[in-house]
Amino acid sequence: MSNKLSNKENLGFIFKLFKAMQKDNLNYIYRGTFTANITDNILALAESNLVKKDDPRAIKRKVYNVMVEGLQNITKHQADIDLELEENYGVFVLKKENNNYFITTGNLIENENIDQLTFQIEQVNSLSKDELKEYHKKILIDGKISNKGGAGLGLIDMARKSGNKLLYGFEKYNNSYSYFYLHTEIPSIESKKVISTQNSNIIKYINALHKMLNDENVLIIFNSYFNQESLMNLLSIIEKQMVGKLNLKKRIYNTMVEMFQNIIQHGDNYKETPDGKAGLFYISESDDNFILNTGNYINNQNIPILIEKLTYINNLSDEDLDNFYNERLLNFEIDSNKEAGLGMIDIRLKTDDILEYNFLKISDKYSFYTLRAKINKNK
Amino acid sequence: MEALNIEPTEDTPKIYFEPDVDIFLIEGKSLPENAIDFYQPVFNWANDFFYSSDAPAKFILNFKLDYFNTASSKQLAKLFRIMEESPVSENVTIKWFYDEEDADMLKAGKRYAKLMKLKFSFEVI
Repeated sequence: MSNKLSNKENLGFIFKLFKAMQKDNLNYIYRGTFTANITDNILALAESNLVKKDDPRAIKRKVYNVMVEGLQNITKHQADIDLELEENYGVFVLKKENNNYFITTGNLIENENIDQLTFQIEQVNSLSKDELKEYHKKILIDGKISNKGGAGLGLIDMARKSGNKLLYGFEKYNNSYSYFYLHTEIPSIESKKVISTQNSNIIKYINALHKMLNDENVLIIFNSYFNQESLMNLLSIIEKQMVGKLNLKKRIYNTMVEMFQNIIQHGDNYKETPDGKAGLFYISESDDNFILNTGNYINNQNIPILIEKLTYINNLSDEDLDNFYNERLLNFEIDSNKEAGLGMIDIRLKTDDILEYNFLKISDKYSFYTLRAKINKNK
Repeated sequence: MEALNIEPTEDTPKIYFEPDVDIFLIEGKSLPENAIDFYQPVFNWANDFFYSSDAPAKFILNFKLDYFNTASSKQLAKLFRIMEESPVSENVTIKWFYDEEDADMLKAGKRYAKLMKLKFSFEVI
C-alpha cells in the first residue's frame, strides 16, 4: 500500500488522528497480524500501562479477560482467511474513559458466517445475567461446539465479564468478506452503566478510524502517556512484530527510543499529569519506508529554538552531521539526565533522511508538535 | 580492588568488572531514562581502579552491548575518557563485539576508536 497523502497532509493526519483519539480517549490501537507473541505483549502493555494501577482488582481482571477473548477471537478468524497478509490485518482498540474501559476488535470474516455470528450475539444479548450463567453451564456440559470451535463461549464470557451487552457491526469488504467489529464496555464499579445496543455510533466511528488506518497503512498507535515503562512495553511489541533485516529492525528500535525519550525529557504538559507527557506515537508503512511519527504538546516559547535546531540538523551534509555528532559526543558540558544533545542528530544519521515536523497552535501557550522520521527498508 | 557487579535489567546492561579473574564485561542493552545515574557507579569504580596500585598491566574490556541509546553513548564516551586519561591507558584494549548484520553497531565502535586514544579491536559475534 502506498502513501496516498502528501507530506503536509500527512503531518495534518497525525493531529487529526490525535484529536480523533483524544475526543474518544482512545489509548491503544494495534493493526496487523495477531500472533501469540503479539497477543501476549498487548496484554502485558495493557496490564502495566493502560490499565491503571489503582483500579480495583476486579475491574483489572475483567478487562484482562475480555481482552483475552477478543484477541483470541481475532486469531481464530484470521487463520481461516486466505488473503494477502495486509488485507487480513485485524484491529484491536483499547480505550479508557472515566474509569470505564472499552475494548473493540475488528477483523475480516467470511460473509457466510455473518448470519450465525449475528444469531449468536443476539442470543447472548437477549439473556439476563442469570440466564447467561445457565447458558454458559449448559454449553459447557452439552459441548455444543460451533464451527469456529468456540461454541460462542468467548462471546458469552465477554458479556458476562463486562456485565454488558455486546455491540457489533459488519462492514462489507467485498463479495466474500466483511469486517466484523465487536465492542465491549466494562463499566467502573461505581457507574455500572449499561450500554444500549441501539447505539451503533461507536461501531461507525471505529470503522471510520479503521479505514483511516488502512489508507495510511498504520501498524500501531499508542496514545497515552510517554514514560520509560510504556516505551519498554512498546519496544517489546515492535521487536516481535517487525520482520526483516536486523539492521532495519534496530534502526526502527533506535529511532523509536530517541523519539520517545525526547518527548519524555522535553515534551510539555498540556495538563498536569503524574504519568508522563500525553502524546501520540504511531508507525505506518509504505512500499519503501517505515514511518515513525510522534505528536505531543510543546510550550510555544520553546518552538523557535527547536525549529532552529531541526533546521540546522536537516541542512547538514552527511559528513558535517557525523562531525557534529562527534563534537557533541565529547562535549561533556552538555551532559545531564535530561540532555545529551545527541538524539536528533542520531535519528537523522540513522534514518538518512530529513526530519519532517510541524507545529500547530492550540492556544496562546501550547502547540501540537509532530515529528516524523522515515526509515528506508532497502538501506 | 573489589569487583563491580551490576545485574542487567530490561533497559540497562550487565556490567561485570572483576580484576581478580581479569574479566571486564559490558553486555546487553543500555537505554535507561537517566543514563548518568546508571553509569555513575561505573565511573567511580573506574576512577579508583585505573589510578590504583591494582591498575592493570593488561586490561581488555569485552564490550558486548547490542543496543545503546544516545544518552548512554555519551556516558560510554565518559568511561572511555577515564581510561584514556589514566596512567595505564596504553594497557587498555576495547574489544568491540558486533553482529555481522549490524553495520550501525560497527560504525559506533569505529567512531569511538577514532575519537579515543585507546586500542580498539573489532570482533564479529
